[in-house]
Amino acid sequence: MLRALQAVLAAFFGVQSERNRQRDFQQSSPWPYILAGLFMAGVFVVLVLLVARWAAAS
Amino acid sequence: MTSRSLPRPVVQQSASEATAGGAAAGHHAHQPRGLLRWVLTTNHKEIGTLYLLFALLMFFIGGTMALVVRAELFQPGMTFILPEFFNQMTTMHGLIMVFGAIMPAFVGLANWMVPVQIGAPDMALPRLNNFSFWLLPVSFTILLSTLFMEGGGPNFGWTFYAPLSTTYAPPSTSFFILAMHLAGISSILGAINIIATILNLRTPNMRLMDMPLFVWTWLITAFLLIAVMPVLAGVITMMLLDINFGTSFFDAAGGGDPVLFQHLFWFFGHPEVYIMILPAFGIVSAIVPTFARKRLFGYASMVYATASIAILSFVVWAHHMFTVGLPLTAQLFFMYSTMLIAVPTGVKVFNWIATLFRGSISFELPMLFSLAFIVQFTIGGLSGVMLAIAPADFQYHDTYFVVAHFHYVLVPGAVFAILAAAYYWLPKWSGVYPNVKLGLTHFWLSVIGVNLTFFPMHFSGLAGMPRRIPDYALQFADFNLLSSIGGFLFGISQLLFVAVVILCIRGKGEKAPAQAWEGAEGLEWTLPSPAPLHTFDTPPEFVPERDSPSRH
Amino acid sequence: MLQLLYRSCGLLLLLTGPALASAINTSSGWNMPPGVTDISREIYSLHMIIFWICVAIAVVVFGVMFWSLFVYRKSKGAKPAHFHENTTVEVIWTAIPLAILVIMAIPATATLKKIYDASDAEIDILVTGYQWRWHYQYLDQDISFFSNLGTPRSQILGEEDKGDFYLLEVDNPLVLPVGKKVRFLFTSNDVIHAWWVPDLAIKKDTIPGFINESWTIINEPGTYRGQCAELCGQDHAYMPIEVRAVTEEVWLSWLDEQRETAAAEAASGEREWTLAELNERGAGVYTTYCAACHQADGSGMPPAFPALRGNPVMTSAEGRDKHINAVLFGRPGTSMPGYGTTLSVNDLAAVITYERNAWGNDTGDAVQPSEIRALLDR
Repeated sequence: MLRALQAVLAAFFGVQSERNRQRDFQQSSPWPYILAGLFMAGVFVVLVLLVARWAAAS
Repeated sequence: MTSRSLPRPVVQQSASEATAGGAAAGHHAHQPRGLLRWVLTTNHKEIGTLYLLFALLMFFIGGTMALVVRAELFQPGMTFILPEFFNQMTTMHGLIMVFGAIMPAFVGLANWMVPVQIGAPDMALPRLNNFSFWLLPVSFTILLSTLFMEGGGPNFGWTFYAPLSTTYAPPSTSFFILAMHLAGISSILGAINIIATILNLRTPNMRLMDMPLFVWTWLITAFLLIAVMPVLAGVITMMLLDINFGTSFFDAAGGGDPVLFQHLFWFFGHPEVYIMILPAFGIVSAIVPTFARKRLFGYASMVYATASIAILSFVVWAHHMFTVGLPLTAQLFFMYSTMLIAVPTGVKVFNWIATLFRGSISFELPMLFSLAFIVQFTIGGLSGVMLAIAPADFQYHDTYFVVAHFHYVLVPGAVFAILAAAYYWLPKWSGVYPNVKLGLTHFWLSVIGVNLTFFPMHFSGLAGMPRRIPDYALQFADFNLLSSIGGFLFGISQLLFVAVVILCIRGKGEKAPAQAWEGAEGLEWTLPSPAPLHTFDTPPEFVPERDSPSRH
Repeated sequence: MLQLLYRSCGLLLLLTGPALASAINTSSGWNMPPGVTDISREIYSLHMIIFWICVAIAVVVFGVMFWSLFVYRKSKGAKPAHFHENTTVEVIWTAIPLAILVIMAIPATATLKKIYDASDAEIDILVTGYQWRWHYQYLDQDISFFSNLGTPRSQILGEEDKGDFYLLEVDNPLVLPVGKKVRFLFTSNDVIHAWWVPDLAIKKDTIPGFINESWTIINEPGTYRGQCAELCGQDHAYMPIEVRAVTEEVWLSWLDEQRETAAAEAASGEREWTLAELNERGAGVYTTYCAACHQADGSGMPPAFPALRGNPVMTSAEGRDKHINAVLFGRPGTSMPGYGTTLSVNDLAAVITYERNAWGNDTGDAVQPSEIRALLDR
């Protein structure tokens, strides 16, 4: 699961080393990655929202 | 038990038929001929062709409307048409170009190219494919017929903000809603078909990360379509209820909320913008490596960037609504999320340029259109960054600066990518190369025309000219004159493209080999030119270490 | 041949780029106006900063691109390299745009927060959008009026030369004092409009059923012009905004003047008017409020907008009540709005009288303001 989160983070940033990519694509099931992706999308939205709230309040 | 086992011998029989060439030909001889052949076809190539020709027809209808608009704006004053008809023209131009020209053109390209790029014999759901195409002519016949109805056609802009499009709308609006529903169903069915094809029919050994980028971008686009088209359907249904059944979703007098309309519309509308550009990224990512004779730089990051753009597109919709009076926190949220989109978009541009760097570059027609795409799309992207800055957007919003921005993304952007794709794959479709002389003239006139039309709009917008006005103050006259001249130049020069296509269809021109372009990679170039009606009846061989765009 | 074209295009871009940019910077007709408030100047400088950052990015990106196109041409015998990935480079060109965006976001956030602080305003003005005119109400000064397009129709139709402020002039401008914090409240009577004055850097949607707010402190006296920015129907182009900023003394005396006119207008509603008086005033009201749909010659645009010339409702005695009713309360189910709450009784009486006598309708009816008052009070 940690590996999936790491891969999703790399994908969000858009860059991943070839070695890690090969490793990720050896996995048998894509579901951990899909779930991690959805989860991280939610985290991302909350993060931007928190920054916006902080900027509005400060 | 017996009834279930019955069909089995039949299946085996048809499979053996397919392998025996002569029997297969006999089978196809039963197909209807003439017009009915096209009405009833379930072949992905024929349906792709239908989509593309339909898009071309709509491109000219929508373009003619744009020229009516430009003719009225040629000079200040009410010179040529009445404001009411002007509004109908801008609205119909937008609707037809978005839903009738650009989207069907991309779906047509997907129909043609996705199966042959992944080594599939056809789309996964051929009958559904036929149905989703034939919904479109019905939809647009209804839409165009509203122009001849009492009170005229839709006149509230392609964004059809309520209550202008409900309480204050012409009587034909219910027909407009029906037409949009049909186009939406067509898009959803088409998207389902594309996803089913890509996920199920890839040739053995082709993993997702072995697919050409055009297939990848379409896979992501199809998911976007399925996610947002129902939202459009919902919002137009609410309009229909407000107009005909006395509800008050968007009517403030009945306790409704006109701003809700905008939230719903743009929750659909913003991903819709990416639906119209992601497949263009895929096309350019196929063409640039071919003519730079060098593999695409950063294949994986291209896939990630496409996915990032798709995810971000769901959380930026309110940047179209900076002036409706959102709370400060919401304003900041949408400003930040919108600015972030520039990052993955920038990555794409950098990757294309890194692909060019140290390549062996030649300038065939598809390459010219792709390079023009990169430059012009980047201009549209940069003005997009400016528009993302909320305080500055108070000055840009609803002016010609916005018109310039989205036309740069969609015309010198998406339309140029579609033209590039047509020039790139015409040899595969028709068996002959597009006429170079005509093509070059078409390219240069288009580049000059499109920039002459849209570049001055940045200035008229900054100087204070609002959108969607049929008449303007005198200080905007020079810019509008230039835009009108450019518009007519661009519009008329598209006739050259029709000439190119007709020559190709009639087989006039240099014959193309299977590998039509020297540096091209992909399964489509293993097929003869023109590609036969039925291809890859048996899955082609695919060795990832040798054929994958992500290989080492 | 092709290469020559490319070379000349690149050269042209290099040569004209800076020249074009400097023209943008100096000439006001090309660029966003810096405006006359602190906020508008801040927005202007924000705009210029982002603009130059974008130009710099474009120069670098297109520079590398065209240089690559030029140097690595196949016709010059360029052999393709084989690299297709470089993690370091990819991290760098992802991180740099991210940093630039953060730098842009900081001043943008600060400006936005100032724009949102409408507290401590000294003057409150309610701006209401109508199809297709603006209504201004000075909430504490007890003054309100409509502001209509001032450009004559003959200029729009090209029968007369267009004036300097073609489509940017109104009959009653909004008059404001300089140096005072003015708060605007925005709403709409029908569809969504947007009130935009570039020199004040205010653009706000006016939405039926909602109230939006914004504020300004105008630094310099002058006349500032703007337009409706949100598509609101056929005459969207014909509802301009004119703000006249004056010193406080001038503003106070203007307020007195307005109150006197309003009092005189109210008093004249009591007396009996002659047919000629009503017709003369009615012609003006008709041009401003009715001619857009029913046309200057009363021919209308059937079927949406019926003709008034020769219309039985306007030519017969039996139609009189129906006619008055339609003008006062509108015709439900059509685009004819009721003017009973927007126009004064004098204007209503005058325009109805005019419609019953103009273009050969010739009924000789004189509808008196007192009659309209009685109907409205009922």
